[in-house]
Amino acid sequence: MTVASAAPAPARPRKPAPSRVLIGGLVAVAAITAWAAWEIDFELTSLFENFSNGWVVVEQFLHPNWSYLGNAGTAWMETISIAIVASFFGVAVGLVFAYMASQVTNRSTKLYRVTKWFLSVLRSLPDIAYVLIFVALVGVGSLAGILALFIFNIGIAAKLTAETIDAVEPGPLEAADASGSGTFARARWAVQPQILPNFLSYALYIFELNIRSSVVIGYAGGGGIGQLIQVQFARFNYENVSAIVISMFVVVLIIDQVSQYLRRRLV
Amino acid sequence: MIELKDVTVRYPNGVVGLDNVSLTIPDGQFVVVVGLSGAGKSTLIRTINGLVPVTEGSLVVDGVEVAGASNRKLRDVRSSIGMIFQSFNLVKRTSVMNNVMMGQMHGIPAYRSLFGAWTAEEKEIAFQSLERVGIVEKAWTRASQLSGGQQQRVAIARALAQDPKVMLADEPVASLDPPTAQMVMKDLQRINRDLSITTLVNLHFLDLARQFGDRVIGMRAGKVVFDGTGAEADDSVFEDIYGRSLTADDVLPGKA
Amino acid sequence: MSAETKAAPTKTPRPQEPGKARATIGAIVLVLLVIGGGYFSNADWSKFPDVFTEGWRYFYLMLKGIVQNPFSEPYSEYWTQAFNGMLESISMAWIGTMIGAAISIPMGFLAARNVSHPVVVQVTRVFLNIIRTLPELVFAIILLLPIFGFGPNAGALALGIGAVGTLGKLTAEALEGIDPGPVEAARAAGAPGSAILRWTYWSQVLPEVLAFWLYRFEINIRASAILGVIGAGGIGSVLSQAFRYREWDFIGILLLVIIVVTVIVDSISGAVRHRIIAGTAIKDKDIDTQPVGL
Repeated sequence: MTVASAAPAPARPRKPAPSRVLIGGLVAVAAITAWAAWEIDFELTSLFENFSNGWVVVEQFLHPNWSYLGNAGTAWMETISIAIVASFFGVAVGLVFAYMASQVTNRSTKLYRVTKWFLSVLRSLPDIAYVLIFVALVGVGSLAGILALFIFNIGIAAKLTAETIDAVEPGPLEAADASGSGTFARARWAVQPQILPNFLSYALYIFELNIRSSVVIGYAGGGGIGQLIQVQFARFNYENVSAIVISMFVVVLIIDQVSQYLRRRLV
Repeated sequence: MIELKDVTVRYPNGVVGLDNVSLTIPDGQFVVVVGLSGAGKSTLIRTINGLVPVTEGSLVVDGVEVAGASNRKLRDVRSSIGMIFQSFNLVKRTSVMNNVMMGQMHGIPAYRSLFGAWTAEEKEIAFQSLERVGIVEKAWTRASQLSGGQQQRVAIARALAQDPKVMLADEPVASLDPPTAQMVMKDLQRINRDLSITTLVNLHFLDLARQFGDRVIGMRAGKVVFDGTGAEADDSVFEDIYGRSLTADDVLPGKA
Repeated sequence: MSAETKAAPTKTPRPQEPGKARATIGAIVLVLLVIGGGYFSNADWSKFPDVFTEGWRYFYLMLKGIVQNPFSEPYSEYWTQAFNGMLESISMAWIGTMIGAAISIPMGFLAARNVSHPVVVQVTRVFLNIIRTLPELVFAIILLLPIFGFGPNAGALALGIGAVGTLGKLTAEALEGIDPGPVEAARAAGAPGSAILRWTYWSQVLPEVLAFWLYRFEINIRASAILGVIGAGGIGSVLSQAFRYREWDFIGILLLVIIVVTVIVDSISGAVRHRIIAGTAIKDKDIDTQPVGL
């Protein structure tokens, strides 16, 4: 370095101390992690000790029973049907809730708060809880799956759509107000055309989610492909489970592609 | 007739939009309001149809007190006041027809408007409104496919479909190129003459103000500082309204 | 309307209203799909009214469980089990998120087109996609339960593996979206690759990635309940037990605890996320609308 020689260096600014929020945050994260690991008796040694147990299963998985795929056809039909019905009605009802959950379209602050609160309660329960509830109400089968996903979809559709409504261009709203339009006409003609592409793309996304959660739904008694997996798994027919999982992979991939294509055309 | 008596508008953040303004605008007059941005032009116009609430004073439009009116009543008042905006405020993703329908939404029951079931009569009113601004052939085009001038004309048609007694225009030509601006102003003037609709237009180009205003109102800091005919409003008057000497930005480019 | 009485200038021909064939066909197809779905799902629609008749009865029973004195038997036991189960679920979700986050960092870099070799990018993406397609449940049942036995440890690992798929993808996308200017500047200054990755790439995506992690934590809390039902412990296991014996008063307490605790954790996590990404270009919504498989 050639700098030092001549004049004495001016005082260097001190490096600022790390903010308290940052330190507090890091300590909190470390503490929570340690506590959580203790709470669930976290360990990885089993991975080495019992690896052979797992490997036996994996080996069966590597030899899928392709002939079993024929049986999966009907179950897939059921799963896709469940997803179609549940997403259709879920997003339709979700749209109504979305209008009520945005202050852009809902002029009543009270109703807005109640809707927001109701939706966050709806979203806080996992899909499996809804399946368990509806299985208890209407028995094991696709109907329980449809109803569970329907309720579950309302929460997601309403949340995503309400956020889109919050962000619409305010100009047309002002124009609607200036012409004395009523609440419904304003929502239908100043807001809905603006949110429609996003809304349809959320509908497709929700349909995809429903296909993905089919394993969970069926496992808990909601019909479809998950039920098949559950039965085969309970009988330790891992070769059959493997074939189903591979078919699941293909179906999800196809539906992803189709919905991506539709979405590109929408926006 | 529009009558403002000692109207003061104070926004929730404390800014005073209108400061003790009294004005009487007789039926059928074409009024141009000028002033710098922030002078209260926009507030004046938005106060007249109740988009901005009156803090103090009384404001009567066509015999109806707007100050302190209920939402229901405000909607009634607004349905007879057309409004045109600087940014057109069209719903770009739907057809021109549906945009013009917005003007009649006040009288259409919700069960029909939800499904877009317009009657032939309602469509005819929309067509006639579009005819007045000369773009009836675009009725079924998507609003997003129109040029700026065309969009502003659709917006005028939307206001006309309200069958308004009063027409308010907030900087209607500020986003348009000079020739289009002239055309849109002429449309507004013709409509004012043909249908004798009282018209209030905010402008910041003083040559347009002189050319079109039967009456020019100058505003500064929420107060009316000039009120006279277009002919009376010479450069010194504008310098007084603006509180500074005039520049090339104050006239419509390409004309001065 | 008086518009007719006011003479229109000249009557020009009215343009033909465009046909609605496409919209009509679309609507018909959709309706047929839904009706077909209702039929081919093999749902027993005759049971549908039970939702209302049975629903009210069970709802009443659940409410009854909630309003009982929580210090009397067996309700004190119910409340304790509910809170312990929920704590276990949250711990499972937290550890799962930590594991997923740790593994997703290198995965994200490997899958980012502007960081890694195209072949590596493709291989990593296929791997991440496979994980994303398969629900955590599948990892849990095929691999983890045989090795780790039933319990939250297996659950946490399953959540961790599941999180790698989405977090890796989101991290890669965030990396691809960075401002390339600083990278160029660092290269021009002769910085070694590791320094570039740490101080230009990672610094730029950190807030966004942290927000993804928190969001994944919120999802994992719900997913942990799912794993619980197959025996991974936590509130899910308790819940499925209660449903098996139809103890509606217990179920009511469990659902209430799940709802309240989840809403609280969500709002804390949401507030932290807002704080982290405040001032960055990304919006909360950009994260929430990412298609993350639940």
